[in-house]
Amino acid sequence: MVSTSNRTAQNESTKPVAHLTGICNCFGEECVHEDLSLELPRGRITALVGGSGTGKTVLLRTLSMLRRPDAGQLELFGEDALEAGERAQRDLRRRIGLLFQGGALFTALTVLENVMLPLREHTSVRGRWLAELAMSKVLMAGLPADSAGKYPAELSGGMVKRAALARALALDPRLLILDEPTSGLDPIAAARFDDLIRELTDSLGLTVIQATHDLDSIWRGSDAVAFLARKRVLAFAPAAELAQRDEPELVAYFQGSRSAEYAKLATSQPGTSGGSP
Amino acid sequence: MTEKGPNVNVSPRVALDRGEGDVWHMQLAGEWTLAQSEALPTIDRALTGEISDSGMRGKTFRAGGEIDALDSAGALRLAQIVDGLEQVGAAVDLQALPQRQRNVIELLKGRLPPPKTPRPPREGVLAKIGRATIAKFSESNAFLAFIGELVVRGGKLIAFPWRIRWREVVAEIEAAGLRALGIVGLLSFLVGMVMAYQAGATLADFGANILIVNLVAIITLREMGPLLTAIIVAGRTGSSYTAQLGTMRITEEIDALRSIGISPFDMLILPKIIALMLVLPLLTVFANLLGLLGGAVVAAYRFEVSFAVYFDRLPEVVDLTTLMLGLIKTPVFAIAIALIGCMQGMRVAGSALAVGKATTISVVQATFLVIVLDAGFSVLFNLMGY
Repeated sequence: MVSTSNRTAQNESTKPVAHLTGICNCFGEECVHEDLSLELPRGRITALVGGSGTGKTVLLRTLSMLRRPDAGQLELFGEDALEAGERAQRDLRRRIGLLFQGGALFTALTVLENVMLPLREHTSVRGRWLAELAMSKVLMAGLPADSAGKYPAELSGGMVKRAALARALALDPRLLILDEPTSGLDPIAAARFDDLIRELTDSLGLTVIQATHDLDSIWRGSDAVAFLARKRVLAFAPAAELAQRDEPELVAYFQGSRSAEYAKLATSQPGTSGGSP
Repeated sequence: MTEKGPNVNVSPRVALDRGEGDVWHMQLAGEWTLAQSEALPTIDRALTGEISDSGMRGKTFRAGGEIDALDSAGALRLAQIVDGLEQVGAAVDLQALPQRQRNVIELLKGRLPPPKTPRPPREGVLAKIGRATIAKFSESNAFLAFIGELVVRGGKLIAFPWRIRWREVVAEIEAAGLRALGIVGLLSFLVGMVMAYQAGATLADFGANILIVNLVAIITLREMGPLLTAIIVAGRTGSSYTAQLGTMRITEEIDALRSIGISPFDMLILPKIIALMLVLPLLTVFANLLGLLGGAVVAAYRFEVSFAVYFDRLPEVVDLTTLMLGLIKTPVFAIAIALIGCMQGMRVAGSALAVGKATTISVVQATFLVIVLDAGFSVLFNLMGY
């Protein structure tokens, strides 16, 4: 842990970053989650995986306190997020960085201004130091310096994702929530993005959860996979382990031809027998 | 982590300890975090007195002490200090810091912001004038292109009227007509009442109460009905056309339509224009009725002109020509409103802000044009002797 000085941080380091229990999310009669539970391990990258319509985005919205679940408990950094008052919620939100699927950059602001906005709102940093701090996030997200003055409309898809990541990182969040961070990127750019997330996670001590369909991100870019099916987290384990399980949903997802190749790669390391038993 | 009392000094600190020979000790302490953002930017001032640009070559700065907390803001500052020392030829040894803290500093050191952060270029007066001029020209250019495409597409539809997308036309009629009945009716009724009050107050002094009918009827049918309706529709429907098309431009829905071989003119713009041309005269008739009714109510309850007398006298003071002189203007208003609404929408580019701007421009221009056209019609009718 990088910043562990105050008492809350002491508390923080012993409790899970996020803990969901008995979550129900319903839209009218239709429920996407029923009695769902999930615990995010500290300092790890968790991939949130599941077919379309299994409520990945809904779960991330619940986790980031944008959507109040119809039932269940949400604990963030050891605090009850659903019962928290306005100030406490604001405090919790500060510690969460959220990357929206489409980036959701403010189109009327430049990239740098987008990153400066949360800093200006939540801290007393002003002037040149503010610009420098924001600029360091832009560079940290892997954007060239000259893109900072550009407007979102002038950026390519991959750059939009990186700019959105820079904004999500602005306040040094403890928990980073990514909704399909590599969708729409070419494989090379996606792999670079995965590497970047890994590097940031390791050096900044982040906890990351990412909804993804990208096999590369699932197999190489994540420490564990939370598999959504049957309206709950059906399984929570490293991808290589999930590929060995025999629940039909997991088999369908992990025994697909391309996925099988990844499984072979993962299991053909010394010490493990090749192929599935 | 050390246990700390309540009064402990948490602000980030750095102190230099000139050691023996070429190795100097750099004592770090405090919390290097965003929360200390007032102290962080000025922290290296403590060093500037000790460090000269010359004579630092070959020196090694060995970091020591204990940083109680470090986030990326503090790491950025440290990385900048380290970079500054390396610039003047010194070496910095961070080995004494915990691995995690070194990682963050390394991460940021590889990506230090350039001394000057780029800003969107600011322009001088001349450049602004030039840009505005070009914008005006391209605007009229765009207007001509829009009209051109409209005429081509519209001409085709006149030649092959079965190609008109009636389903869209009907939907637009409902949105722009049926759903506007309430507001148009209410406002017309109120304006009718107001006119009757003002006319009645003056006429009653002369005992000419009955002339309220003349005034209210002629003003309503010839001017107030058509003008009021057109202005309401410009604010209500014209703005929604701009906002809808503008948003569709930004979300690339317009491009998506083109890509599947559907002209946005056929699908979106012409149905709007056709619908508004059909709807505005009908709305005006409705507004006229409610306006006359509003006048009648005030005349009856305030100025002793009963409903029977009011509606008896109505056909004597106005005839079909009066009604038609008002109505004939409305399709022209409709074209103006729909054209401006659609064109401003189609010109939107870039951001959500642009949609808002275009919508404002659309309402202002449409209202302006409606009133100018109305004045033009008044002059024209006067010359024609009506």
